[in-house]
Amino acid sequence: MTGEAIPSILSLARSGATSRAWDAFVSAGLDGVAEVDALTLKGRLLKDRAKQAAGAERAALFAQSGAAYAQAATLRPDSYPLINAAAMALFAGDGASAASIARDVLTLVDGDRLQGETPYWREATRAEALLLLGRADQAQGSFQTAIACAPNAYEDHAVTLRQFAAILAATGDDAGWLDMHRPAAAVHFSGIMNIASDDAVAAQAVRTAIADIAPGFGYGAIAAGADIIAAEALLANGAELHVVLPSAAPEFCRTSVAPFGAEWVARFDALCDAAHSITLCNGDSETSRAGIALADYQAMGMAVAKAGLLETRALALRIEPESRPALGDPWLRSRRSIVHVAVEESRPPVAFTALPEGKLLFFVALGADAGVADPMGFDTLSDAIAAIPPNTPQAAIDCNTTGERSTVTALLSNTPVGSVFASSNAAMALQTEGRCRRIEPMGEMETSGGAVEVFAVWPNG
Amino acid sequence: MQNWGHPDKAEQLAALAACFECSPDSAQLLMAAMTEKRFAAGTNIALRGDPSAMLFLILDGNVVAEIFGIDGQQAQLTRHGPGEIFGAFPTATQHRADFRATAETRLLSIPADTLSGLARQHGDIGSGIAGLLARQLDLMLDRMAARIGLSANGRFHKALLQLADAQGEIRPAPVISALALSVHTTRETGSRALAALLRRGIVERDAHSLRIVSRRMLEDMVV
Repeated sequence: MTGEAIPSILSLARSGATSRAWDAFVSAGLDGVAEVDALTLKGRLLKDRAKQAAGAERAALFAQSGAAYAQAATLRPDSYPLINAAAMALFAGDGASAASIARDVLTLVDGDRLQGETPYWREATRAEALLLLGRADQAQGSFQTAIACAPNAYEDHAVTLRQFAAILAATGDDAGWLDMHRPAAAVHFSGIMNIASDDAVAAQAVRTAIADIAPGFGYGAIAAGADIIAAEALLANGAELHVVLPSAAPEFCRTSVAPFGAEWVARFDALCDAAHSITLCNGDSETSRAGIALADYQAMGMAVAKAGLLETRALALRIEPESRPALGDPWLRSRRSIVHVAVEESRPPVAFTALPEGKLLFFVALGADAGVADPMGFDTLSDAIAAIPPNTPQAAIDCNTTGERSTVTALLSNTPVGSVFASSNAAMALQTEGRCRRIEPMGEMETSGGAVEVFAVWPNG
Repeated sequence: MQNWGHPDKAEQLAALAACFECSPDSAQLLMAAMTEKRFAAGTNIALRGDPSAMLFLILDGNVVAEIFGIDGQQAQLTRHGPGEIFGAFPTATQHRADFRATAETRLLSIPADTLSGLARQHGDIGSGIAGLLARQLDLMLDRMAARIGLSANGRFHKALLQLADAQGEIRPAPVISALALSVHTTRETGSRALAALLRRGIVERDAHSLRIVSRRMLEDMVV
C-alpha cells in the first residue's frame, strides 16, 4: 500500500521540487512507516533537503537521512542503504559513526557474496567503505576492481566518482586520483563543407586531432566535408557516433550532402548505418538554416549532457580555416574547451539552392503567480532566460522553428510548483550555452504533434 | 507503396502476439490474413474520402492524420507510432482524414471484416483487440491532455519488470522488437535500452532467458 505513492513522490524529488516531495511524503503517511522502500525514499528526500540547507540544519538533515537509511538496513541487511547511512553520517560531521557503519558494510559485503546489486556495485560499495575508513589506497584498488567488473558501466562509475568527490571534499583529502578513472570525453564536431572528398591532408589533420583527444562519444550532423571526415575518424578511433539531423536523413542528404558529389552520399549512408544513434530534432519537412541551428544546439547539448552524466569532459571540435573566426558559435558562451583543427577549403564552393532561413524562437511560460498570462517569445536564449525572474516558483521553456507556443503552455501545465521544466530542445540549448547547472529527465509529454522529451532544469543564477 | 522485401516471420508473429496479447496459434491466424507494406517518408497512405476497408497496425515509423480546415489550412489531427492501429474496424467505412507516413513506415494490414470474423471465432483475438483499442484510447487522451508519461526507455524498462517472475527471470527471452512494439516504441530504442542494461550488469542474458540482476536499479530507470 505504501508503494503506491512512492513513484509520484520520487518524480517530484527528481524534478527538484524538494519541499513539495517531502510534504507529499509526509501527507501520504510515509514518514512513520517502517518499511524498506519508504525508509530508503525518506533517506533520499532528507539528503536532498540537506543539500539545500546550511549550517546546523544541514548537518541535522544529513544525520536524519543517515538514520533512515540505517533503519532500512536493519529491516533487511543490504549494503545499499547501509553505505548511504555511513556517507550521511560523515556529511553530518560524525566521522566516528561513519567509520563504524563503514566497517559494518565491509563485514556485510565480505560475508555475503550476493551483497551489492550488481558485480560493479558490490566492489564499488567496498571501495566507498574503505574510503570512509580513510584507507584511500585500498579504496583505489577496490574501485579499479569494480571498474574491471563492468568496464563500460560508465553511468555507474560516474555515480561513484561523484560520491567519492563529495566524501573527499568532506574529509579534505586529495581527489586528484579520481581523474584517472573518468571515461573518455564527449565531443561535438562541426566544420566546413568545401573539402574535396580525396583531401588527404584535411583527413589526416582531423584524424590526428581525434586520436589526441581519444573521445568516447561524438555528436554532430554529418554534412559533406569536415563533418563526415570527423564522424569517420571518430568511428575509426572506437568512439560511439551519435548523429543529430535537422531533417529526415533523405532530405538532409539532398540538401547538405548530395550537392557535393556522389562519393559523399555513399559515405553519408555508411555513417548512418554505423551510427550508434540518429536523432531528428526538428519536425520540419525541409532543411532550413534555423533547423540546422536547432540541431546544432541539440547535438552540443547532448555532448554536454553525456559528459555530465558520465563525469567526464565535454569539448568541441571545430574544423575550419585558421583565419576564420568562430563567431556566433553557441559553445563559446559556455566557456568549455574548443579544439581547432586548421584545414583549408580544397574544392570550389558548390552552387546549390539556398536553404530557407526559417526562424528559431525561444518561448517562456511563467506560473500564475508571475502575473504574465501568455507565453513570451524571444530571439535568443539569453533573453528568454532573463525573462524568468529569480526564484520563480514555476516556469517552462521551449524552443522551436515553427513558432508554435502550445508546447510551452502544455509544459507549464505539467510543471510542479518549485520547478522549471524544459522541452528537450530547450534543455539542450541551455546545456550548450552553459546556462543551467543540471538537467534531469522527467519523461515524455504526448502531444498531437508527437512525443516531447521533458527535462527538469536548474538555470544558473 | 512497396511490398516489404524479406519479412522476418518469427519476428512478425512475436509482434502480433505482443500487440494482440494472444496465443501463438492466434497470432499465426492473424498473420495469415495480413499483408506487410512499406511506405517511404512523406508518402500518402490514404486520402480523406477514400474507401477504408483495412485496419493497419504500425510496425515501424510514424503516420499522421491530417485534415483541411474550413480556412483551407492543413491541420494535424493526430499522430500514430509503432504498435498503434488506424483505419477501419469492425466494418469498412471511409477515411475521415488524410494519412501520411512521416518516416519510412512498415505496416501490417488486414481487411476489417476478416479481423471481425477472427475476433468472433477466437476469444483471445477479440480481447486482444479490446486491449489494443483501450491502450490506444489512453494514448489519445494523453495526447489531448498533453500529459507527461514515461519515456520510451522507461516504458521498455517497465515492460521488462512486468514480464519477470519473482526471481527476476524472463523465460523465454522476449523478442525485443515485439516487446518494443507493445510499448509503442521502435526496435532500435528497445535494442539500445537492453544493451545499456546488459552493459551495466542490471540484466543478464543467456541463450534462453533474461534475468533482472537488480530490480531496484531497473525500477529507478522507469522514468
